Amino acid sequence: MTAFRAETDSPRHSGEPRLKVGAPAVVPPPRSRARRLVPRLVAAATALCAIVVLAQGHAGLPFRRIVTVEAKMASKADYFEDPQVQRLLIRNGLRVHITRMGSRGIATQSYDGYDVVIPSGQPAADLITHKRTDEGHQAAEYAPFFSPIVLGTYREYAETLQDAGIATPLPGTPAGQKPLYYSLNMKKFLRTTADGVRWDRLGLARHGLHNGNQVLAQTSGICDSNSAGTYMGLVSYVWNHDSIPQNPTEATRFADRIRLLFNDQGLSSAGKSRTYASDEGKSEAPIAVIYEHQFLAYQIRAQARTGHVDGERVLLYPSAQIDTEPQLIALTPDGDRLSRLVNDDPALQKRAVELGFRVKDAQVPGATSSAQTRFLRERHIPAPGLSGDDTKAVLPRLGLLERMIEDIGACASVPQGAADGEAP
Amino acid sequence: MTARGLPLALCLVLLAALGGLVSCSGGGPDTTLRVLASDELSDMKPLLDQLRQDTGVRLDMDYEPTNEASDTLLTGRHSYDLAWLSSDRYLRLKAKRAPAGRTPATGVQSTSIMRSPVVVGLTAQVARKLRGKSPGGRLSWADIADAAATGTVRFGMADPRHSNSGLAALVGVATAAAGTGGALRPTDVSCDRLRGFRSGQTLTADTSHALLDAFAARPGRTNALITYESELLTLNASGRLKQPLQIVHPADGMVLSDYPLLLLDPAQRAAYDRVVAWLTGTGHQRDIMRRTLRRPVSTAVTRDPRLAAPLDNALYFPDDPAVLDRLLADYGDPRRRTADQVIFLLDSSTSMRGARTTALRAAFASLSGADSSATAEFVRFYQGEKLTVVRFGGRPLAERTVTVRRPADLTALEDFVADGGYDGATAVWSALDHGYGTAEQALRADPGHAVSLVLMTDGENNAGIDRASFVSRYRARRADVRAVHTYPLHFGDSDAAELRQVASVTGGRMVDARAQSLSTAFKEIRGCS
Repeated sequence: MTAFRAETDSPRHSGEPRLKVGAPAVVPPPRSRARRLVPRLVAAATALCAIVVLAQGHAGLPFRRIVTVEAKMASKADYFEDPQVQRLLIRNGLRVHITRMGSRGIATQSYDGYDVVIPSGQPAADLITHKRTDEGHQAAEYAPFFSPIVLGTYREYAETLQDAGIATPLPGTPAGQKPLYYSLNMKKFLRTTADGVRWDRLGLARHGLHNGNQVLAQTSGICDSNSAGTYMGLVSYVWNHDSIPQNPTEATRFADRIRLLFNDQGLSSAGKSRTYASDEGKSEAPIAVIYEHQFLAYQIRAQARTGHVDGERVLLYPSAQIDTEPQLIALTPDGDRLSRLVNDDPALQKRAVELGFRVKDAQVPGATSSAQTRFLRERHIPAPGLSGDDTKAVLPRLGLLERMIEDIGACASVPQGAADGEAP
Repeated sequence: MTARGLPLALCLVLLAALGGLVSCSGGGPDTTLRVLASDELSDMKPLLDQLRQDTGVRLDMDYEPTNEASDTLLTGRHSYDLAWLSSDRYLRLKAKRAPAGRTPATGVQSTSIMRSPVVVGLTAQVARKLRGKSPGGRLSWADIADAAATGTVRFGMADPRHSNSGLAALVGVATAAAGTGGALRPTDVSCDRLRGFRSGQTLTADTSHALLDAFAARPGRTNALITYESELLTLNASGRLKQPLQIVHPADGMVLSDYPLLLLDPAQRAAYDRVVAWLTGTGHQRDIMRRTLRRPVSTAVTRDPRLAAPLDNALYFPDDPAVLDRLLADYGDPRRRTADQVIFLLDSSTSMRGARTTALRAAFASLSGADSSATAEFVRFYQGEKLTVVRFGGRPLAERTVTVRRPADLTALEDFVADGGYDGATAVWSALDHGYGTAEQALRADPGHAVSLVLMTDGENNAGIDRASFVSRYRARRADVRAVHTYPLHFGDSDAAELRQVASVTGGRMVDARAQSLSTAFKEIRGCS
């Protein structure tokens, strides 16, 4: 019912797939007499229904205009495209119109006409806020949730890695079930990539598959994507003996050392999580760098649809972890209203958990969000039994990280404020 | 339901009924978008009428072969709102070449609509023959290349310079030939490993549709087609063939196309969103699958049994535009095949007697089909190739040239290579000078064909002309003869420094045949010219 309310007071049509029922604001140009009449009838009926619905005492909903917030974002569109999030926002008088592009891509382009930009992580967010500051604008930032960088894979591949001593199931797998989560020894994994070992040689055939490609994790384009840039930082941290570069010379040297670990995947395509969920995912990208929330959201959906999780798709947690914090950067008052709402509203926060995100949990310090664990248990989905003593990888300072990204991906540079880069 | 809910329910019913009637409005004004599309997408036409009725968006399609469409987009001088390509890889790679600061329009939004791998269709007869040769029955690009080199497979493939299916096939075969398990790098394509494969091409066209038509019209001459899985399945279902083609998903991997719809003009965002929503909706994804036999991106669609089998690994696509340039240049014009020639200068001094000659013979045998490794299958001697062997001692001793037509030609060459008659001296520079004389004759007879020299010696120069004389004679030759590179094999007690000089003077490369077998060394320089 709330869904219909959402349709009826749309001032601007955003053309999302679900919104099929006639939008009264726009009447199609004349075709036949009957066809001219029908939309008017629908409009009238819609308006009538709107009044009925509103008059029925949904006290929480005042009569007010629905504001469309123009937002540019990357993978966090997964959150804002969720029908329930949309309903919760409409209830607060907001609709989000999404333009999707990679986080670093957001930073490189103009924000004109946008109310809020939502890069998936801190580095791209910093690029944007620095740029805004340089241009003399203010930009309020909100980070309502977070999610670790993970590697999505498939049962046969995870077991092959386990056979080779590179991956280990995480504790907590219910008896009689196959593990859904593994810990990936990053040092060993990267060594395997560096040695050019192929999946076939690693014994993939024992699990019924063939793959002559080198063992490596595929990322989205490093010039555009936050997950790719962050994973690069993670690889650099592990491969350079748990350290980060301290100056531009070191950054270049670190980048040179890990270049080959990245470039063998060739031309990368965007949207690794969509590929991962697709039927061809196993052949296109058997190990894909994604966010934990994307995997959990997929499994939560699978559980809801079929009554059980998809045991074919499993997750590798890198032994050195990095959390990513999507940032809502408000550029206008409307953008600020949306950002504050997502940050503060308990229902929206709860929904974030239901979509696989981790939320800041005041009671439990540390990485594991107890709200997330609780929710997964309620849904009979195994929760990742991460131990607190896993290494946290550290990203280089923004200017140096950018230098490495440009080096490795031959990416165009993003103009940065003078403040960062060299200073400690 | 409470009493309060009743009017609401009535509303829902009313709305649902009316909503069904006006689903044609799709929630937006009628509009027309200009779309530059890959010619392969002309099979979507019937669905586009439905799309227009449902969404009010008319797609005004211009069709071009994918690579040409991409070139048009890269100029930036066009008035298209959208582009719909079989793949945007060519576009994105070429865009990397754009001058700094100017980003060509590779699309502000991009959505993959469907997928299809480029695979091989074989007639039943040739499929049986190939499967018989490879126990276990998993055919690879290497097997196809091997069979093309012997003339068993005579295939059709669209021109990779124009068509995405041709380019995807070329990248697929070349990646399999390099055999690194990674994306192709410039060093992987510095020598052309696809000559044997290419020698089996008997049919081509600028577009994959034209290729299919040409194949259906003239069955018999061509017994294999390399194109999209979807097009092969469609052809099989069309009844145009007496016998359907058997579809092989090469075991060493394939390249998938993902048909992205690109938004070029940001002002058309709303209409683009409507089109994408329609095309990716479950029902329409099912229609697309049924009509075109491409693989849906929607996971909610139950797969046609022909598309249900999981694919083995996809190959990585190179991200270096130079690799693509090199592959396309080496593959050349599929309509104009020129025969290549290799001139082998083989040391027949007495030190070669015995084990070394046995190794040499084995190396020739392995290039003649005795070696069934993937590398050898790609670089073997192939039909139409011209092979000249010069045996030398203190002077050129004997010379034999064959054009490969049948296995007996290669057996004769092996016999000649090992045919006794040794000499006490080693005249490296004189032999090389003789080789360039032979190359000059060959180029005079058939200008423009690729000629290269392979020099194999196991000792130091102790007879004939010296290096300086060779170099001055070499420098005095015609430009096209000077362009013939020499690839020396360092073997036995030969002088590495001297051989390296040969390579550097002529633009070739020395290969060390002491750390590896002579066969491996021969394979390493195959296709280099």
